[in-house]
Amino acid sequence: MNTNLKISNVTKIYPGCVANDNVSLEFNSGKIYALLGENGAGKSTLVKILSGVIIPDEGEIYLNENNLKLNSPSDAKKNDIGMVFQHFNLFETLSVFENLIIDSDEQRESLREKIDTIMKKYNFSIDLDIPVLNLSAGQKQKVEIIRCLIRSPKVLIMDEPTSVLTEQETSELFLSLKKFSEEGILIIYITHKLKEVMQLCDEVAVMRRGKLVSVSEIKNENIESLANKMVGQNLKTIKKKIAKTSSDQLIKITNLNFTSEDPFETNLIDINFSVNRGECLGIAGISGNGQSELFQVLSGEIISEKNSIEFNKNYIGDLNPQERREYLMAFSPEDRLEQAAIPQMKIFENVALNNFKSSNFFNNGLINENKIKEHSKKIISDFSVNTDNIELKSQFLSGGNLQKLIIGRELITSPDLLICFNPTWGLDVGAINYIHETLIKINEQNKSIILISTDTDELLKLSDKISVIHRGKLSKIMNTEEVTSEKLGILMGGAN
Amino acid sequence: MIIDINFIGLIIASIMASAVPLILASCGELITERSGVLNLGVEGMMIIGAISGFALMTVTGSLIIAIFGAMLAGVLISTIFAFLTQTLITNHVATGLALTIFGIGISAMIGKNFVGIPGKEFPVLFEGFKDTIPLLGPILFGHSIVFYFAFALPFITSYFLKKTKIGLIVRAVGDSPESASNQGINVRLVRYACILYGGAMSGLAGAYLSMIYTPQWIENMTGGRGWIALALVVFSTWNPIKILIGAMIFGGLTIIQFHMQAIGVRIPVQFLTALPYIVTIIVLVVISRDSRKIRLSTPSSLGKSFYKDN
Repeated sequence: MNTNLKISNVTKIYPGCVANDNVSLEFNSGKIYALLGENGAGKSTLVKILSGVIIPDEGEIYLNENNLKLNSPSDAKKNDIGMVFQHFNLFETLSVFENLIIDSDEQRESLREKIDTIMKKYNFSIDLDIPVLNLSAGQKQKVEIIRCLIRSPKVLIMDEPTSVLTEQETSELFLSLKKFSEEGILIIYITHKLKEVMQLCDEVAVMRRGKLVSVSEIKNENIESLANKMVGQNLKTIKKKIAKTSSDQLIKITNLNFTSEDPFETNLIDINFSVNRGECLGIAGISGNGQSELFQVLSGEIISEKNSIEFNKNYIGDLNPQERREYLMAFSPEDRLEQAAIPQMKIFENVALNNFKSSNFFNNGLINENKIKEHSKKIISDFSVNTDNIELKSQFLSGGNLQKLIIGRELITSPDLLICFNPTWGLDVGAINYIHETLIKINEQNKSIILISTDTDELLKLSDKISVIHRGKLSKIMNTEEVTSEKLGILMGGAN
Repeated sequence: MIIDINFIGLIIASIMASAVPLILASCGELITERSGVLNLGVEGMMIIGAISGFALMTVTGSLIIAIFGAMLAGVLISTIFAFLTQTLITNHVATGLALTIFGIGISAMIGKNFVGIPGKEFPVLFEGFKDTIPLLGPILFGHSIVFYFAFALPFITSYFLKKTKIGLIVRAVGDSPESASNQGINVRLVRYACILYGGAMSGLAGAYLSMIYTPQWIENMTGGRGWIALALVVFSTWNPIKILIGAMIFGGLTIIQFHMQAIGVRIPVQFLTALPYIVTIIVLVVISRDSRKIRLSTPSSLGKSFYKDN
């Protein structure tokens, strides 16, 4: 049976932002549709409207000619629309089975049978009786998919599904999605990754700033044409010059271990690596394999043995982040709004936060506001942060601007080593380009970078050497020229 | 000194009786907290229950009206808390503290007219069997219906949370209200229900104190039991069976230290009075050491307000 889903003149306005501006689209089963756009383009709002999470201000949705009133997620479920969210909607402390039965009206036994059938059919293998927090991201996503499949949906919406997956898991997911599509499920695939659109989808709708820009068939498009539609301008491609080899060692990590009591954290096992001046070491891996712990150990949020970290011929393993900054290390954590900046504080106050001793921001315990403001203005102009109001609270900066501010704050002290963790996570293409250029510039100034990232393309573009972290262990360190994204994918999955 | 075996039975029974209000209030608060709501107003809700029960008993003469009236009073005062924290999105901690202060104040005001009035005798069940079995007789028989209910409650609560659909929904809401809401669960409704249930149980615990345990009204008669109940919930790591153990230890040591003081054991009184608190916490910490299990049973969203963004 054919499924036809029609979105007609949907508008959703938030204070200060039109998230969806009169969007009309039509989908038919048998095809896989891509909804492409940068962060903030309005694609997530649109799919949240389709799944009943957000109620549109105007517009109608029709499924097989029936006008749907989607006032809550359960309305979407009743109308056979299934959705897998980017941030999983799972209950971490409940078991897999409890997660699945919670919105089902079926009896335990019959549901179990049904789940088993689905898992066999699509070759999923997940232990139903362990808590969800023990699953890998790929498995969690499968749980979400099973949850949708239990209801035999007509429409399945996937919101940025590959952001947490390895290459292998991604190709598995694509196989499953193709199978679903053949079985008559209408698939809408939301992403900002162009490669995936080309690989998987039949038709693509591009959104920009809340508006639908184009709808076209994939066979008439290529990566460049889609990128330009998505960004709305031609992008210059950046490339790193082959670095001159330097043998001047800057930081050396020796036999570093970290054992956590928290079951949500990963233990680090016998970490050894070194970084030379002017070099960028990339650390790849699927999120949750110890990156966050490694970052914290390197930044001093977690203290380790004194001798395990040697920086510029000093042993600094037992120093806290502030003391490490005095040795000219700088840090850009993953979570911009919680770790790197304090959302409720103003831009210039956030700038003052990481400069305690070596700056003259404070006189006898008093804040030298003028000095800090002057300094903040310099960062804003040097790093093209798109605001001129340093009194603005940081939470109102966009992700890209905030990241520029943080990198700027770290770099203005001209550190010898910058450690960054997913610096372009969730940013739009323009901001990503800017950050990448900045990082390349740092290396050109003979300063070093440790780049922990889950974005393989980014790592291949910026690093001189790459290692992969898996379950808290580092692989051997490879020269980037010897590495392909396939090879990284295999290592990220834990194989040798 | 020959100690009559039935005397030991009586001591154990009195320990159990003193554990009853803790078990009731803790199990109620446990459900509230499992849904992600931290209600620090247990002491206030208990004392409201205590005065309501006692006042209704004196005025109407009906024990049934008094017991259910006390529970209803607990529900009503917790409705204030629910409205403030869930509808007006106030801070859980501040609102809970205010609730306790409010409860203590208003109970003292209502209670003025009831000071010195003798309570009524509360009927006990199976009184005739008391002497049939040595030791166990006084432990098992001759208690009020509330007593039996209290000792069944941890098991009912455990079953409810683990085995029933609604229990699963309560845990889900406490784990991640955002996910629950996206799944179509009405988070606010679930939390309202859990708060009101917690209020009813605290009200019942208060009524037990003023109608059964020491049948009279004394100002501030809960004497911090609400706070102990709160601590039990946390130190038991949200496990109803461990609440039962903790309440028994606390009740036991309270009774025993009274006896020790009476016999004249040469240990400072202050230390003896502090003993139940210290030992209960140590024991519960020791039996709940497994950090993995703590993680699994701690409601992740505890005390955090839930805003629905639409």
